[in-house]
Amino acid sequence: MPGPDRETDLTERIESFLSDLKRGGSGTGPLRGSAETARETTALLRRITAQARWSSAGDLMEIIRKEGRRMIAAQPSETTVGNMIRRVLKIVREEYARSRGSSEETDQQESLHKLLTSGGLSEENFRQHFTALKANVIEAINELLTELEGTTDNIAMQALEHIHSNEVIMTIGRSRTAEAFLKDAARKRKFHVIVAECAPFCQGHEMATSLSKAGIETTVIADAAIFAVMSRVNKVIIGTQTVLANGGLRAVNGTHTLALAAKHHSTPLIVCAPMFKLSPQILSKVNVHCPVFDYVPPELITLFISNIGGHAPSYIYRLMSELYHPEDHEL
Amino acid sequence: MNEEELVEYFRAQMRTDPDMASAVAAIRTLLEFLKRDKGETILGLRESLTSATDCLTGVDSSVAVSSGGELFLRFISLTSLEHEDLSRCKKVMEERGELFLEKISMSRTKVAKLCHTFIKDGAKILTHSYSRVVLRVLEKAAAEKKRFSVYVTESQPDSAGRQMAEALRNLNVPVTVVLDAAVGYVLEKVDLVIVGAEGVVESGGIINKIGTYQTAVCAKAHNKPFYVVAESFKFVRLYPLNQQDVPDRFKYKADTLKTGANLSEEHPIIDYTPPSLITLLFTDLGVLTPSAVSDELIKLYL
Repeated sequence: MPGPDRETDLTERIESFLSDLKRGGSGTGPLRGSAETARETTALLRRITAQARWSSAGDLMEIIRKEGRRMIAAQPSETTVGNMIRRVLKIVREEYARSRGSSEETDQQESLHKLLTSGGLSEENFRQHFTALKANVIEAINELLTELEGTTDNIAMQALEHIHSNEVIMTIGRSRTAEAFLKDAARKRKFHVIVAECAPFCQGHEMATSLSKAGIETTVIADAAIFAVMSRVNKVIIGTQTVLANGGLRAVNGTHTLALAAKHHSTPLIVCAPMFKLSPQILSKVNVHCPVFDYVPPELITLFISNIGGHAPSYIYRLMSELYHPEDHEL
Repeated sequence: MNEEELVEYFRAQMRTDPDMASAVAAIRTLLEFLKRDKGETILGLRESLTSATDCLTGVDSSVAVSSGGELFLRFISLTSLEHEDLSRCKKVMEERGELFLEKISMSRTKVAKLCHTFIKDGAKILTHSYSRVVLRVLEKAAAEKKRFSVYVTESQPDSAGRQMAEALRNLNVPVTVVLDAAVGYVLEKVDLVIVGAEGVVESGGIINKIGTYQTAVCAKAHNKPFYVVAESFKFVRLYPLNQQDVPDRFKYKADTLKTGANLSEEHPIIDYTPPSLITLLFTDLGVLTPSAVSDELIKLYL
């Protein structure tokens, strides 16, 4: 019978995804890098939408939230999982609103304006059933997946505007986004890259090997030498694990040192971060158990380059409000 | 409803519920004014409401009353655009006004819910003068069984800080009253600073009891986070660039302004804290960075 088979198939996939998450953090294990994790999560959510049993948007959101909480509990330091869940929840809300024909989709946020003009306490319980809802949601999730696939390329495309010939660029550790960014610029420009090795995992070594294969002159330095070398550097370009709601970063150990050194020498610090790394958390709620990550405050960052363009750190809250619904901040 | 009745109603509101924000009392008074108004046109209504607001600011010159009044006026303009007939319009305004009051009466609870998670166990908090919102936040944190201690500045000239200390002692929170001049001295022991605001200006800065600016500068020097808790109806359309830019009508008490004394010899009771010194603002619209405040105001007034 197709019914129970689909159910068990779905649960199997969810279980295998959860065990993958538990085994590997970002960078190790079968799920390499946060981009793949994001894609896997979204694909799984699409499968849940298609195969699970639900009759109204409210049920679907409940199912997604429940599975989402389990996924987040499996690997709390991998924030992209939570971000994708919140994106999908927002998609469900939007599609529901569109099906209901209300023009409220642009004004989901609380605002003073809404306080003054709304006619009644909004009672959105998402109980109405729409037949086209499933198809719409799946289509929107497909669009999200296409967006996810193009992010690294979109960011790399902006490289030529920011990197000029004969510049000295510093980076730290291994970020696939920063790597793609630098390689793209290397096609047309000649510049030097200094990579801080980022102990204890020394991922900077792999980064340096990969960059020199692309024909970029690379130097590897020890983390302790960052400040000493900074006076010769024109720009610092880094990736990050998460971008927080106040414009701060949760990045690999050593990034705060790099940021402070850059600030001291008035060197611009550019962060290449795709939109799926934006997390609606603010530092206090983020439990930094393992000192594998650093917090970098927004004052030290000059520019964020994401797949939708460049932004100042003070603008991040705005992007947050476009991607996620405030009620989904706490899953 | 004439001036005396207006003032009397306002004063009565403040008396019956001393916990109510002055802006809420002002809005309630204006709503009552609206209900009793016998005007025939929207324009007449707006004019009489403007003069009513001026009258109220004559009683209580705080920024909050002024911002509450402006918000109500804005609310009238937005509603009146939708209906042609005056009596229907007024009915809708009254309903929405009641709804608006209901929503903003819940704003302090929303703020407390957002902010108490930032108070960790064992935290030492510095606050300035007496703020009912900060009190509510600390109440919520104490109810969540968090252990923390508070330093309150005395806040002259009215020693409002002592009132705050009293209220905190009733909550069994260990509290110490410090001199206003001792803020720099005490900041090395403190983990975070939380203050309320009488008004939040367009740039994301705040207007609050005199001494707040000093505390913010010291907090910046010691690298301690400086948090502001304020309800959204305190957002006001001012953009001061420095202390001089804040209008005199907010700086001094209403009685001082009326007696026409030489203002250069009076002590101002509020000051302006620029957004560069503020870490985060906790409002009922969410946790905002100072740059997000102007966004909110634009959405409302444009």
